Amino acid sequence: MEKHCFKSKIWISIVALLVAMPIFVVAFSWLLPEHELWAYFSENILSALISSTLILLLGVGVGVTLLGTVLAYLVVMVEFPGRKWLEWALFLPFAIPAYVLAFVYLGVFDYSGYAQVWMREVLGLPGFDIRAGSWAIILTFVLVFYPYVYMMTRASFKRQKVSMIEAGKLLGASPIRVFFKISLPLARPAAAAGLLVTLMETLADFGVVSLFNYDTFTTAIYSAWGDFRSIEVAAQLASLLVLVAFFLIYFEKKARGQAKYYSADVTNKKPYQATGVMGWFITLFVFGVFMLSFAMPMLQLVIWGWSSVADEWSVKYIDLITSTSILTITAALITVALATVLALPGRCKQASNWLKSVIRLATLGYALPGSVMAVGLLYGINQVSLINIHFGGESINHVIYGSIALLLFAYVSRFMAIAYSSIEASAQQIKPVYTQSARLLGASRMRLVWQVYLPMMTPGILAGGLLVAVDVMKELPATYLLRPFGWDTLAIQVYELSAEGLYERAAVPALIMVIFGAMLMGVFQYLDKKSSKTS
Amino acid sequence: MLSVANLSIEYQNKTVVDGLNLELAQGEIFALLGDSGSGKSSTLRFIAGLDNTKHGKVELDGVRLSDHGQHIIAPESREVGMVFQDYALFPHMNVFKNVSFGINHLTKSDQKRRVNELLSMVDLQGSEDKYPHQLSGGEQQRVSLIRALAPAPKILLMDEPFSSLDKNHRDQLVVQVRHILKKTNTTSILVTHDRDEANTLADKVGKINHKQLTLN
Repeated sequence: MEKHCFKSKIWISIVALLVAMPIFVVAFSWLLPEHELWAYFSENILSALISSTLILLLGVGVGVTLLGTVLAYLVVMVEFPGRKWLEWALFLPFAIPAYVLAFVYLGVFDYSGYAQVWMREVLGLPGFDIRAGSWAIILTFVLVFYPYVYMMTRASFKRQKVSMIEAGKLLGASPIRVFFKISLPLARPAAAAGLLVTLMETLADFGVVSLFNYDTFTTAIYSAWGDFRSIEVAAQLASLLVLVAFFLIYFEKKARGQAKYYSADVTNKKPYQATGVMGWFITLFVFGVFMLSFAMPMLQLVIWGWSSVADEWSVKYIDLITSTSILTITAALITVALATVLALPGRCKQASNWLKSVIRLATLGYALPGSVMAVGLLYGINQVSLINIHFGGESINHVIYGSIALLLFAYVSRFMAIAYSSIEASAQQIKPVYTQSARLLGASRMRLVWQVYLPMMTPGILAGGLLVAVDVMKELPATYLLRPFGWDTLAIQVYELSAEGLYERAAVPALIMVIFGAMLMGVFQYLDKKSSKTS
Repeated sequence: MLSVANLSIEYQNKTVVDGLNLELAQGEIFALLGDSGSGKSSTLRFIAGLDNTKHGKVELDGVRLSDHGQHIIAPESREVGMVFQDYALFPHMNVFKNVSFGINHLTKSDQKRRVNELLSMVDLQGSEDKYPHQLSGGEQQRVSLIRALAPAPKILLMDEPFSSLDKNHRDQLVVQVRHILKKTNTTSILVTHDRDEANTLADKVGKINHKQLTLN
């Protein structure tokens, strides 16, 4: 037992610490400051960066919380025309990467986009700069990220007891008062969890902010590395971003610390019926959100894609699809394999605070934006090279910079939390009696893992793999900074074409990505439904 | 056959069993009664080797399994069978795979023969391909019993195995289980808080009262 635990501890610690390495590396950057450039950044750029990032976080936070919560409340608590299909349709924006929605909006509402041309020429109104201020970028983020809050609060509303709401109604409360006084406070932890993911994604974003020319930490990190060639300052900026991310996690944990007041039963009973004008008004509102966040951008992509596919499509796309598929599949497989090692149930893990801590550390990667991950790795390798040179050796930069292994490492480290939480959730469902019963029937640890644990964790492993695959396919900043020469992905192609304003051509790779993403999400939904039926 | 000596158990920092001694002969069925939190399930789990305790020694057929509250032989090597309160049937395996889990050292044809023999003993012939969620509570209980019996354990431990069944089913099953245990000459311990169930199933009944075991 002791020996077995020692071996487990060593293996789990190695995996977890390797995955968590970029966090340490970024923190380490403060030990080797580059004073002059840092002084330039902190005097000229830092305060503007902080205020623009805060404005963005505040606007997106308020927007997604309001929109996501209201939509979830409406589809769960109110019966209105078209509710059933709209409830599922509101998940669809998940399939569209944020930067794709951004370039569609820019293409339509930019000065030369046909919405503005129509406004100027037909209505005679003055044009406007969609990139001025922060309202347009906030709106874009809200439309693309509201599904996180919607998904989590919807699950929470579904588990609220209808009798509580009926009690509120019988005590004379209006639907709005019931929402604010009963339903919303109970859904607060779920809303906070959705908000956290949204704010993390906003902080991590590189595509949308650079298309809108909006300066945030991620663009500054890229500038420090790309324009000033200073990996140290990039790492220092990245560490500030990590601090903000940790603060957000702390805030969410606080919000989640509330007692759980919902029951375990899911109900489909609707306490409110919206008929007549009110019913149609609600339908119009929910349908409007669906149109703006999914249907219209998709339609626009199809129109652009159709008109430019003949010019844009070439053999190059076979390479793009191949490299995207290889990276996506390999990263998903490695991430899932390592996450499974970390999530396997075991007595050693239960008894060891050290193991619990290193596993938590390994899953902090989701707090690190792709750019931070990339910078952390580049910086780490640079330091190893410097040490090597110091002792008379050679730089290893040219071997590792721009290698597939490095990019895969970044993906694994960044998306470990997604795979781990999904696999861990299925491992949690393995009751101790299954282990005890298998052991009493003479099963060895190996047989326990292969025949009991892994089959029971399969739904979680598959779901985790699919979610990681969708995210790797859409990933932009780490891929942009770390990709090997000649290994452009669909995401890079979308970004590069749209950054040059070639929106119609960018629609072709974007559509391919959305179709692949939607297919993966479809398989995920199918597995999710299947596992909730059998459990 | 089974000998438990000087067993003490703590529950939430309180001693609930103090100096329990028990001797069972081959084929004997013993029922252990007690209120909730009296330590009866913990006693069973110590014998199975699942939990450690402060003091206690367990011997089975003259082999020392545990001593001084610590286990010498791991649960998987004890040849002890156990039927859990919620049956613990593996949800991803059908009845055949569940029952044959503990006899995988046998050839496929021997496994098949043994499983069929056990299934017919509990009137579940033809259920090999069914999954646990396709069985009724009583059927799950019977599968759980034959799964534990399949490797022919030296002793069978049952932790309130009838508690989630309705009274009619329970009465029928208790009689059936006694019949099977006697037929297979399996030494058994049943933990329950139902005196009627204990009296019907067991040869010998004991109760944990004020930390001590008293035999009725």
